[in-house]
Amino acid sequence: MSTTYTIPVGPVHVGLKEPVTAWLELDGERIMGAKVRPGAIHRGIEFMARERSPIQVIYLSERICGICSFSHALCFIRAVEDLANLSVPARGQYIRTLVLELERLHSHLLWSGVACYTIGFDSAFHLGMQLRERVMDILELLTGNRVNYGVATFGGVRWDVTPELAKATREMIRYYRREFTPFREIVMEDPVAHARMRNVGVLSRDDAVRYSATGPTARASGLRVDLRKNSPYEAYADIPVEPVVPQDYFGKTHGDVLDRFAVRVLEVYQSLDIMEKVLDGLPEGSFVAEPNLNKVLASLKKAEGTGWGIIEAPRGDNTHIVRLKGGDDNVFWWKVRAPTYANAVSWPLMFCGNELADAPLIINSIDPCISCMERMLVTNGNGDSGIVTSGIITKEELVGRCRQKTFDIQARGLGGTER
Amino acid sequence: MTSKFGKSAIAYSVLIDALKAKFGDDIVRLEVHERKAGAANEIQGHDLWVEVARTAFRPFLEELFTYDFVNFHVISGDDMGSGAKDNVALNYHFSLFQRTKKGRIGVSITVQVPKSDLSMPSMHDLLPGSEYSEREIREMFGVDFVGLPNKALVFLPEDWNEEIKPWRRDATGPAPEIVRELS
Repeated sequence: MSTTYTIPVGPVHVGLKEPVTAWLELDGERIMGAKVRPGAIHRGIEFMARERSPIQVIYLSERICGICSFSHALCFIRAVEDLANLSVPARGQYIRTLVLELERLHSHLLWSGVACYTIGFDSAFHLGMQLRERVMDILELLTGNRVNYGVATFGGVRWDVTPELAKATREMIRYYRREFTPFREIVMEDPVAHARMRNVGVLSRDDAVRYSATGPTARASGLRVDLRKNSPYEAYADIPVEPVVPQDYFGKTHGDVLDRFAVRVLEVYQSLDIMEKVLDGLPEGSFVAEPNLNKVLASLKKAEGTGWGIIEAPRGDNTHIVRLKGGDDNVFWWKVRAPTYANAVSWPLMFCGNELADAPLIINSIDPCISCMERMLVTNGNGDSGIVTSGIITKEELVGRCRQKTFDIQARGLGGTER
Repeated sequence: MTSKFGKSAIAYSVLIDALKAKFGDDIVRLEVHERKAGAANEIQGHDLWVEVARTAFRPFLEELFTYDFVNFHVISGDDMGSGAKDNVALNYHFSLFQRTKKGRIGVSITVQVPKSDLSMPSMHDLLPGSEYSEREIREMFGVDFVGLPNKALVFLPEDWNEEIKPWRRDATGPAPEIVRELS
């Protein structure tokens, strides 16, 4: 007689970076069914926006997620630009595209490192984390921050790409072309990594369509779907992008964790190519339509309507819908649908028939961002930040140290010249 | 019905004409948003914003399936407040023709749901990926989705008082005293 047991993985689990609960029904070690219960970090960020002006919400939207903060800010901005009919100068569009690809690079590097950690391949994990530092330095060089860049604004961007930054970015592109390949080969040609990832957490092409899977999760199931191709925005209108699908590289699609790994790894090279084209084609001119924020705010106060912003974020399509009411200072309502929100619905399908030990890997394989899905995570910042080792650090000291680090990077990256 | 994205697309204007011919007065309002991009700022695609009568929602969605498998994004919504428009407005956001280069058409279907009868047919049978969104709209606005198999809370905590609908702007919405201001 077989007996099934129900056990929870999460909300707090060593294999998971953020809280989510999967209730797994087990027959021995085999997963027979799964129910996912999010909600552990829902903070009502959309509700908070109702008391903030559109410009304040840009910075609120960046706090949805630390990894794809620019994607969320840009998606919100594009929704407002859609309803208010604002246009963006060509240079602004190209810089936005550059930051989007830097962010994708950062996100995929982080994920492929963490995926190695999840299967116990810690040396590859550390290599991945080391590789990730370079792109974070470029982001810090451009914006002053490693996350939450504050670079997007209505009608363009807030920071220009200087010749020095373009040079540093080209150096970074060369660095990754040289240094990323060994990492890819170490993992993708490792028989143990193969054994852990091949035919694990399979999502068939048919199910990916029916369950509205998106981004690398959908492409790993063989769908040639990428908003940069089917609905080009910003500079993607001038720079063609072809969706990366596993059948083009392996001749066959498995729709498993290894395919999801391969799609992200191959998209790293694609991002490098796109960045190079952006830098080659960077148009001259202004990078923002209207630098005076008071004028922007006054025109948005008169705007009325509902706008839809949709972009290909690192984990899939990111959708924001915004309503502004004429005469109202604040955002009337705002809906965020992060890619994880769509991909998480497919988890129960991926679990079925797999071993219990693979559950954290399957959860991580869609590159979940639970605080994206639930919009916002607040911590007290004590203990796990890596900065506070002992004693108490005041806010002023922390800000001072962060600024000092940015100055150090600027001095190192630009050979000591002022920006 | 095959679960496949088609490899060809039709122009947005052809789609609009076909939908108008089929649904006539059930289409209450129709707007087209252009999406421009690139150095030349040329049109790259279109979004259709259609408001349909509540009874026409399900046939309208099924009609879209005859063109291509519909990709579902999310349901957004708004409480229209009391008075003449005592409705909850739901916007369903979809995409068509995702396989094609520059062919994607965004379709946003708006439906007014009267507060006296807050219910909609579920589309879970057509698009199982809509499960979280329907559950979210249910817990945030109190709209019941007929045919949705799992109506449990998705984002709100287990001990949440389900009488309170966080996104409503009327008496069922959160009272000011239960909202904690962070700054």
